[in-house]
Amino acid sequence: MSRFFHAGESDSDDTESDFSDELSASDSGDNSDSDSDDSGSDSDDQGAGKKAGRGRLWEGSLSDEDDDEDVVRVVRSAKDKRFEEIEQAVNTMDNKQKINDWVAAQNEFDRANKALQKAVGIIAQTGTPKFYVKAVAELEKAIQSALDKEKSASKKMNASNAKALNSMKQKVKKNNRLYEKEIQEYEKDPENYEGEEVVEVKPKVKKAKKVVVSDSEEGEEGEGEEADDGFTPVGAGGKTVEFTQENLFKKLREVAEARGKKNTNREEQVRILERLLVVANTPYQKIRVLLGLISTQFDFAAGLSGYMNLPLWKNAEKYLNSLLTILESNTGYAVKEDAPEEDDEDKDRSPENGETVFIQGSIVAFVDRLDDEFTKSLQNIDPHTTDYVDRLKDEVGLYSVIVRSLAYFNRLGATDAICRTTMRRVDHLYFKPDTVIAAVESATAALVPASIAQPAQDSSNLIHDLCVYLYKNASSLLRTRAMLCHIYHHALHNRFFVARDMILMSHLQETIHQADIITQILHNRTMVQLGLCAFRGGLIKEAQAALQDISGTGRVKELLAQGLSLQRHSAVSPDQEKLERQRQLPFHMHINLELLECVYLTCSMLLEIPAMASAGSNPDARKRVISKPFRRMLDYNSRQVFTGPPENTRDHIMGAAKALASGEWEKSIELINAIKIWDLMPESAKIKEMLGRKIQEEGLRTYLFTNASYYASISLEQLAKMFDLPLANTTSIVSKLVWNEELSASIDQISNVVVLHHVQLSRLQSLALGFADKASGFVEGNEKLLESKTPQQGERPKKGANASKEQGTGKQQQQQQQRTMGSRGGGRGGRNQFNNGLGNSVRGGRK
Amino acid sequence: MSAQYDLTSKMIPFLDQHLAPPLLEFLEINELFYTPTSLLEARYELSLKTNMIDLVDKLHGELEEAGVTPAAIELVKKREEILEQLEASQSEARKVMDVIENPDVINALRQDKLQNLQFLKDNYGMTPEMIQTLYKLGQFQYSCGNYGGAADMLYHYRVLSTDDNLGLSALWGKLASEILVGNWEVAYEAVQELKESIDKTHFPSPLHQLEQRTWFLHWSLFVFFNHSKGRDAVVDLFFQPAYINTIQTSCPWILRYLTAAVITNKRRKTLVKDLVKIIEHESYQYRDPVTEFVEALYIHFDFDLAKKKLVECEEVLENDFFLVAVQEEFIQNARCFISETYCRIHQKIDIAELSQTLNMSKEEGEKWIVNLIRDTRVDAKIDYKENTVLMNTNTTSVYQQIIERTKGLSFRSQVLATSIDKREAAQAKAAQHEKNHPSTEVVA
Repeated sequence: MSRFFHAGESDSDDTESDFSDELSASDSGDNSDSDSDDSGSDSDDQGAGKKAGRGRLWEGSLSDEDDDEDVVRVVRSAKDKRFEEIEQAVNTMDNKQKINDWVAAQNEFDRANKALQKAVGIIAQTGTPKFYVKAVAELEKAIQSALDKEKSASKKMNASNAKALNSMKQKVKKNNRLYEKEIQEYEKDPENYEGEEVVEVKPKVKKAKKVVVSDSEEGEEGEGEEADDGFTPVGAGGKTVEFTQENLFKKLREVAEARGKKNTNREEQVRILERLLVVANTPYQKIRVLLGLISTQFDFAAGLSGYMNLPLWKNAEKYLNSLLTILESNTGYAVKEDAPEEDDEDKDRSPENGETVFIQGSIVAFVDRLDDEFTKSLQNIDPHTTDYVDRLKDEVGLYSVIVRSLAYFNRLGATDAICRTTMRRVDHLYFKPDTVIAAVESATAALVPASIAQPAQDSSNLIHDLCVYLYKNASSLLRTRAMLCHIYHHALHNRFFVARDMILMSHLQETIHQADIITQILHNRTMVQLGLCAFRGGLIKEAQAALQDISGTGRVKELLAQGLSLQRHSAVSPDQEKLERQRQLPFHMHINLELLECVYLTCSMLLEIPAMASAGSNPDARKRVISKPFRRMLDYNSRQVFTGPPENTRDHIMGAAKALASGEWEKSIELINAIKIWDLMPESAKIKEMLGRKIQEEGLRTYLFTNASYYASISLEQLAKMFDLPLANTTSIVSKLVWNEELSASIDQISNVVVLHHVQLSRLQSLALGFADKASGFVEGNEKLLESKTPQQGERPKKGANASKEQGTGKQQQQQQQRTMGSRGGGRGGRNQFNNGLGNSVRGGRK
Repeated sequence: MSAQYDLTSKMIPFLDQHLAPPLLEFLEINELFYTPTSLLEARYELSLKTNMIDLVDKLHGELEEAGVTPAAIELVKKREEILEQLEASQSEARKVMDVIENPDVINALRQDKLQNLQFLKDNYGMTPEMIQTLYKLGQFQYSCGNYGGAADMLYHYRVLSTDDNLGLSALWGKLASEILVGNWEVAYEAVQELKESIDKTHFPSPLHQLEQRTWFLHWSLFVFFNHSKGRDAVVDLFFQPAYINTIQTSCPWILRYLTAAVITNKRRKTLVKDLVKIIEHESYQYRDPVTEFVEALYIHFDFDLAKKKLVECEEVLENDFFLVAVQEEFIQNARCFISETYCRIHQKIDIAELSQTLNMSKEEGEKWIVNLIRDTRVDAKIDYKENTVLMNTNTTSVYQQIIERTKGLSFRSQVLATSIDKREAAQAKAAQHEKNHPSTEVVA
């Protein structure tokens, strides 16, 4: 008896506020003008999946004696229905067992249990109805005696009856285990069991009422209060009884069972769990409740497109944090995915003699989910609003959760979980500059206990350590991702050579096209960052090679997952579009596309212009294109009848390219420096200076290529003066040209001039050269013709012509297919060529 | 001259404790970079790990003379132990050796190792364990400093053993022994053998193989720079992709030796291009005057810088254990490289200036250039009056160009014609075939 009483008293303080919340919630949810708590719980009844009910009837009827109000009768009739159902079933069962009809008895027993299940909500609040306890206790005895009799009896009962009896025995045994305590109590005093209850509850209800009323005066608002006043105690009293330590696990299980079912009211469940959390005392209970609570929070976010709303997300984060706190302070408990299943779920467990109590659950899944939801929300929030910034502020919290759980997994030694979480951590860090990482780290250190995380002093070391752990322990996919992040980080910090060596030695480029699209996107990002890094370091050729394949395609947005390109040839199914949308990176991770284009075009200019000048009129050399997009743009630009002053980045670069081609390096530098977007680069002044120097050098080369035929000799000093370069530098450039046989000239050391060797061709000679060219072209044409007419191996020659035609069309189809596949595949297009690009340029040295 | 270009400390981790002392001794004798006592100490430390008690004793004494008292050790007792051990393993190995040295046995041995083992087992009761004793004795003798004996034992062991792992270790041991004995001819063979087995052996991880290769690169330096054919071999070996990768990954300082080998090797001029690429590629993580010289000459075409670097090179080579022998040759060849490049780029050269670039007096320079013109058949003339060299540029004439372009045409046309003929013939044959067996087509 004192059990209920106790709980009511001790918990009422804590739970009051919850009650009033709950009351106001249920009241507001009630559309009919309800002036009683009971009708409130009726509405609960409908909403919460037939939750209110029977158990409370006892209190209801009891309080009837206390405060005589007709509303209470409404309660009774409402709850009676189900209650009667059980009672009826119990009575019939009683009768049937007396006449030894076990088949019927079994049916009735099942019916009673079914009814009981329907009333599960009420029972959760009030405890099992006494008469039911009595019935099942008696039933067990009856079965026992029937079995005994059966053994000794000479005449056996019929088969179906015996079968029913046996299965009853099993069922009852199992069933009674749930009500062990109640049955024990009943056994103690079978006569007074039911009666006792009547007496017991009375004072308790009064007490609870008092407390709650006083509370509702303080806490509750306005009108509802007065109306509810008389009835609050009943509900509140009932609910006080509802959540106790003893029935906590049962409630928890009920919630867990209801999870995912059709008519489950999630909010209600969260509320139940929240109250359970307050009740929970021991770490074990708390952990169990928290596990349930976090899952229910996540249940709210359904569907692919939407994202979890922010309060819920924050709740989940909060609970996850408190769960981790509990686990940190109670090292005897551990949450594991593969914890052994407990026979008795409802027992409170605590670690004994140093053994760890394992609880089933997956923290790593929670962390993953929390992180994913965070990313999803960032994908969906408009990045140009303050909402986005506000949301971004939550990252610190999320990051600290990751760090904390990492510490927890470390303690547990769960390698797989550590890897997954470490990867998440790296994912949050790799694209950030040092200062941001330092800020995040110190903020995290403030959020979590000092024993868990010290702010990392050096971001590069941090990334290095995390990645090295992943290299050693993780699966190949995570290793690949970690490697890419690591390279990205190196590139971001201008360690081009380290990054380049890593990407070459990992041989990632050879296998990346087999990876999943997300990883391919990461690879593309890494390559772009590598290119930018090379550019910052003044390594124009390397930068161009690295960027070529991403920027050269014209599908930069898609390849970097920074937006969907709209001009598609093929229709994309909504599903695919949805998938693609999901892959998009949150805005704060984006690489500035305009800057990227600017860098790419500038690199292309510095390489293309001298190459074009050197090719001159030689058709073969002209065909060798370094950057197609650049050539196209330049062509387009030069075809225009009237070119206005440059407006955007492209115009500037095109103008600069034309100036460079005509030897006006100063104008070229001026135009390049006028591009505003350089300011986005760190140390833009240095970069401009570097570009200026490059333009001078390339200008010199271009000048020599274009104008060599007009000079017999040219003084080195003059050249140096023209391009404002030091004499030594000029000499070195010219020497290089001579050595590589790009320029047919040599230096006269005495007078310090470049002597250019020309061979003036006579008309006959040039005609002869032209003839030789044509002849070789003719032979080539013949060879090609024969090749196309030659049948494939293994095929009948007769069908040769046909076959080759078919093959031709087949190829076309394939190409088309590839094209469409490429456009759908996101990060897939043309990477191979790029591999070769960078691969050759650097791997050349690796022979 | 600072110690920054000294590679000894970098290389010792990759050398055996028996191979390192010669390097240290070299430094000691030339009084380079480090204080003699610290070098002595280092040698002492190394010797402690070996079983060469006499050496330990001697070094101990020397150290004490130098004013450093190292921790006392039980030398006498240890010596007795070692002698005992040696005795024991020798007597064990004796049994095996008796069998092997028996002329009958030698005649009966064949190529097939398994068969040999079976034969020895059947006729002389030799078990694989007994053969192992050979390996143990070899190892022990090596540890005691008896390299000749060790090499012998290991040779016998390798002939008989079928254990790949121990075989590899034995090969390493043999190489080290031969190096220390100074038997370069055999060592050279051992190097080739070792290289093959490293390439062939399947290591548990690529890292393991990398480690083996790194060691191998270091050890082979002893042989390559002492053997007459060594410098060809070193170029051949180090330019192999696997070894270039090893150099780039774990020991870029080996580039110095590769560079020196390429420059001193007259026949390998074509390799200069590859070398330049590698040096350019690795310049961010390793540079010393030797590589910088190549860089200045072939990347920056800065002859002044090259000249300066050449002076530095001289010093670096003089202080390098392996390269000291090729120093003279290196300088000569480097000058050759400079002048060749210079001549190719320039049309008119002042002899005085060129001599200066080559660190020579005017007369010397003139002689040098005359020799160069004669040797390399550069098309050049010396203008005595102006004291210049005139290079004749040889532009390919138009006729030459046309000949070049049309050279292959007739051959290609011929190929074309024959292939057309073949095709015709095949078609005719097929048509005939069809005429003879029209039914097959229908059935099919």
